[in-house]
Amino acid sequence: MKRSLAILLTLLALFSAAHAESCRTFFAMDTVMTLRAEEASDDLLADCEAEVLRLEALLSATDPDSEISRLNRTGKAVLSRDTFGLLQFARDMGKRTGGALDVTLYPVVRAWGFTTGQTRVPGEAELELLLQRVDYRQITLHADGTAQLPEGVMVDLGSIAKGYASDAIADRLRQAGVQSALIDLGGNLYCLGTKADGSDWRVGIRSPLGDGHCAALSVQNCAVVTSGNYERSFTAADGTRYGHIFDPGTGCPVEGDLLSATVIGQEGALCDALSTALFVMGSTRATEYLACQSEVEAILLCEDGRILASAGLRETLRPMGEFEAWEIQWIEAE
Amino acid sequence: MIRKRLTTRLWILILAAAFIALSAAALALRHAAPQHAVAVVYLDGERLRAIDLSEEAATWQFTVEQDGMTNRIEVRPGGIRIAEANCPDQTCVRQGWLEGGVTPIVCLPHRLVIRPESDTGEAPLDAVAG
Amino acid sequence: MQIQRLTRNALLTGLALIIFSIEAALPALSPVPGIKLGLSNIITVYAMFAIGPRDALAILCARILLSAFVTGNVSALMYSAAGGALCYLIMLLLRRILSSKQVWIASVIGAAFHNLGQILVAVAITRTVGLLAYLPVLLASGMIAGLFTGLCGQMLASRLKGPL
Repeated sequence: MKRSLAILLTLLALFSAAHAESCRTFFAMDTVMTLRAEEASDDLLADCEAEVLRLEALLSATDPDSEISRLNRTGKAVLSRDTFGLLQFARDMGKRTGGALDVTLYPVVRAWGFTTGQTRVPGEAELELLLQRVDYRQITLHADGTAQLPEGVMVDLGSIAKGYASDAIADRLRQAGVQSALIDLGGNLYCLGTKADGSDWRVGIRSPLGDGHCAALSVQNCAVVTSGNYERSFTAADGTRYGHIFDPGTGCPVEGDLLSATVIGQEGALCDALSTALFVMGSTRATEYLACQSEVEAILLCEDGRILASAGLRETLRPMGEFEAWEIQWIEAE
Repeated sequence: MIRKRLTTRLWILILAAAFIALSAAALALRHAAPQHAVAVVYLDGERLRAIDLSEEAATWQFTVEQDGMTNRIEVRPGGIRIAEANCPDQTCVRQGWLEGGVTPIVCLPHRLVIRPESDTGEAPLDAVAG
Repeated sequence: MQIQRLTRNALLTGLALIIFSIEAALPALSPVPGIKLGLSNIITVYAMFAIGPRDALAILCARILLSAFVTGNVSALMYSAAGGALCYLIMLLLRRILSSKQVWIASVIGAAFHNLGQILVAVAITRTVGLLAYLPVLLASGMIAGLFTGLCGQMLASRLKGPL
């Protein structure tokens, strides 16, 4: 009896050793990031961390030494391939989403104090003035890698940087032969491959109404990104709550009918950009947008207790807890 | 064939012993530690849904309906009950909150059972987006 | 003779039905399903020991069938039928080894078997074996109820000596 138990334990130990998982947690881009990878060396994960820190140093709008800060300050700068490419992507996404995603919102966000932590509610006149400078079409990109901004226009790639970083890490891990990894950049997920046992990753979506999760789904080889104004917000003296995602149309925090927008797709940057854009659009425009594309799938939580979700998620999406009682409406692609 | 009749006294002893044993068992079952955090709802013996009561953060309700027979089920952190039903006997509603132990909530007319179990039968989450 | 027997059985069935209806109208004793006094069992116990098993069976069947119509709860028919059948069979057995002073013992055991029958049907219908967790409390409560109805039935039998 004792011997068979010992054999069993040894087998178990061998079995678990065969699935060696490396894990690395660090702080970057204003959030806690966790990398978990199967069959990856600690050095490889350290490389990934360095990559994220490198991107942060290029893209951060608050770091005065970053390329973006330089561009914002001088209005013209020769950019690295990463920054240039991401700025191009940001401009394209602005066009594709009808301006719902606009990286030139930075002056407005700054006026609200979300970048410094000293939050305040700007006056109407101030906002109006700042809004005149908001337009992604004002970003000029030259073939030689130079970007140009008109006077007073500033960009902030914060809404897509984490998604882009998750793509960069995923690429790096894939090149190193890793077939199973979970990249969690402060809630921006990239699920590389499948789990070690070959099964799908089980991903929860944070509840916008408090602790816990609102839904779970099984995925493999894709990014899952959620945006909602529950993440970061401040309450003004008059008791009004202001969220951190802004409507480029009004220059104020989004006051739409969505609690959160989750996007699932192959590209982290695209999911990151679209989750913000869909949240800004609100349920009607977001549904229309989703119906005429096939790149991503999405889950929209509406304030009126409905869940709008891409029909492609029908098999995997499972609302959890109180959200089980919500009505699900499937968005069919046209 | 004439059997020897047991004395009444012996009968009383046997029955009392049985009664005490059954009562002890019933009490033990009733006060079994609330170790099962998961409630599973069955209709006609078919597993409808599993609710992890320890994961619940809010109070909410859902309705199970079949052929006009409805049970409104309420979930709160750590507990579940049938809040409303259109069954003739209303026994299921009177059973109140299920918070653990092993005895299920039953609505016999609707063939609905809410049973405490030890796990949801679903894999835990690997990560959370948001 | 036949008419007298028919009348007597009909009278007892009616009585059982009235007792059943009154009990059904009263609020339930306990939130646990299946716990009740089962007062109409007094008649069954009386018939079983004072008249005879065949008449007792006839009265029991008629009462179960009619009570489903009285309450309108036809789904309860299965439960009472199964409970009644088990209760009847065990009392039939016990009847041979118990004296007229020990009628209540048959009733105690019979009531426990009545509840056993009900729960077995419930397990079969809901296809949930977990319902057996209710078995101890239902058997114990059945014994108390059986003691009460048994003593009543025994008293009835001793007071109503002679042909009814």
